[in-house]
Amino acid sequence: MDVSDWVDARNGFIRGEIFTSEEVYQAELKNVFARSWVFLAHDSMLKKAGDFIQNYIGEDPVVVVRQADGSVKAWLNQCRHRGMRICRADRGNTRYFMCSFHGWVYDREGSLVQVPHEEEAYAPETFDKADYGPRQVPRLHNYKGFWFGNWDETAPDFEDYIGDFKYILDSHIDRHEGGLEVVGQHRWIIPANWKYNAEQPSNDSYHAETSHASALTVLERSRKKRREEKGEPDNRVSMATRAAAARGKQFSGGFGHGAGWHEMPEGAMRYQAELPATMEWEDSVRDKVEERLDPYRNANRSHANLFPNFMMLANGTMRVTHPRGPNEMEIWAWTFAPAEAPDEVKEEIRVNVLRTFSAAGMFEQDDAENWLEEQRIFRGYMARQDPLVYTMRIGDARRGLGGVPGIIAPSVYADEGARGMYHHWAELMSGDSWDDIARRNAERLAQVPHAEADNSQEI
Amino acid sequence: MEEIPESETEAGVATMPITARRTAPSVDVCRELEQFLFEEADLLDTWQFDAWLTMLADDIHYWAPVRENLFHRQRKNEMAAPGGSAHFDETREHLAERVDRLKTHQAWAEEPASRTRHLVTNIRVFETDNPDEFEVESSFYVFRTRSERDFDSVVGKRFDVIRRVDDSAYGFQLARRKIVFDMAMLLVKNLSLFY
Repeated sequence: MDVSDWVDARNGFIRGEIFTSEEVYQAELKNVFARSWVFLAHDSMLKKAGDFIQNYIGEDPVVVVRQADGSVKAWLNQCRHRGMRICRADRGNTRYFMCSFHGWVYDREGSLVQVPHEEEAYAPETFDKADYGPRQVPRLHNYKGFWFGNWDETAPDFEDYIGDFKYILDSHIDRHEGGLEVVGQHRWIIPANWKYNAEQPSNDSYHAETSHASALTVLERSRKKRREEKGEPDNRVSMATRAAAARGKQFSGGFGHGAGWHEMPEGAMRYQAELPATMEWEDSVRDKVEERLDPYRNANRSHANLFPNFMMLANGTMRVTHPRGPNEMEIWAWTFAPAEAPDEVKEEIRVNVLRTFSAAGMFEQDDAENWLEEQRIFRGYMARQDPLVYTMRIGDARRGLGGVPGIIAPSVYADEGARGMYHHWAELMSGDSWDDIARRNAERLAQVPHAEADNSQEI
Repeated sequence: MEEIPESETEAGVATMPITARRTAPSVDVCRELEQFLFEEADLLDTWQFDAWLTMLADDIHYWAPVRENLFHRQRKNEMAAPGGSAHFDETREHLAERVDRLKTHQAWAEEPASRTRHLVTNIRVFETDNPDEFEVESSFYVFRTRSERDFDSVVGKRFDVIRRVDDSAYGFQLARRKIVFDMAMLLVKNLSLFY
């Protein structure tokens, strides 16, 4: 699909049509979701043989199952017989899955193993059960405990796909030797296009000060009170203080990945939760994390999106945003805590996320408010005519600025993450081959000046 | 008397029939507790949140576990256990923080404010070992409209412990509330208010 009337990401030109058009949406399911690496499960959700969860790639339901040999398989949750959903539980443990329409039975691998009345109903010379397993997700990759799937055999390997985003992803999921584990989950719907919840973590620290004014105000008040009562050190930089400063960077990766972070002053930390046990524990393991990652990434991380729809926040939020038509998204959010953290730290993280970034979360609610109003406005004809303003810090990004890989804007207030995301989105939407897209991607990255050639942009 | 079998219909929130285990207090006490819940509903619908906070005991636990769609044989785990996934898991301090946020008038999901109606029904009151504490179960339907044409509904059941506190403003205080929403996936854009 040619989307050039609506998107010219290099120049920060994007029109509302891409958020509302049914035609665009159908093309997204085919050209974006069926060709991209999408988050499916985490090892801690599939601990033993037969453990499964349901997830989605776009609108396509997928069952992800731990096999007897410890491997994982994922298959389209659709009976080949009449297209019925095979598994209708969110998660569980089982040896077999039976379609509740006509009783076709599949094993954990997704092989069809039993068909009622097979001998009488189907001629043995033309019917072989081996031909009728559900469609397998042909590409699966486990990256440090996180399982991703891709329908497209021609897509780049996962590690090539994430490219420079590995630096960002590791800063969220590879801080601690024991990895992460799930401590909470939330699912809800927002009547707005899925791309808002991809763009914002890719790009938008800019909204926080205004959109989240109420939460920043009350949490800062509580933090001050706690500090006075419990004598916490006051050298810690709070969320509210960070939001008020433009100091930071924004990351844009090759295939639409984006991230941004406020940069902490020398010696200060960005904690997973600004709560006593968590801060104390993170201080105690700081040396280990700095050795595992580096001091810069120990102190600085905030929001990120692995294109198309895997979002992560420093507080342990990781979510996949499923598209549900142009006008609705379904948020599947998990809370992750370091597996090796003490129980009281995990508890603080669990409660902190549900109080801030769930459907009842004090931050989350106000994001939904923006997105659903945008969605409503774009129903208008005139509202879709003028390009939106994605021009912040255009032309200022440099490769490798500040030693950070990727295309790095010199401020947390920039639109580099969104421009990169929509550029890649348009590339995929074109329907061109992955080979062509990957070649053009490499050419585009090569054109961005390297920071060493021009350090004048450092703030 | 014939023994009444334990129900397994409402997984995770099944309670034994009233005659099988619990006794109701006097009609007068039931009336008082009903009035307390209706008063609470009115305070929430009229945005008198500071007054609502005085209805809460200092040690309140306000909790709404997440539920999931599970196979029948695993359905005893449908509701998240304490310490697991929850929509609310609040102390009094936490709830006061949420109230303070609404009072900034910059909590944009509630500015302009929703208009709600808390309908509270199916109230059942039971005695406990503590003569001043009662277990009170109630169903609720919260209908919300907002702005030009927003509307949604949140329906569920509450399992409360309500404590008689003679010198409190409303005669009782809410000491514990477990909220069970009738949705697994929440089909609303947020849970911005109280249930």
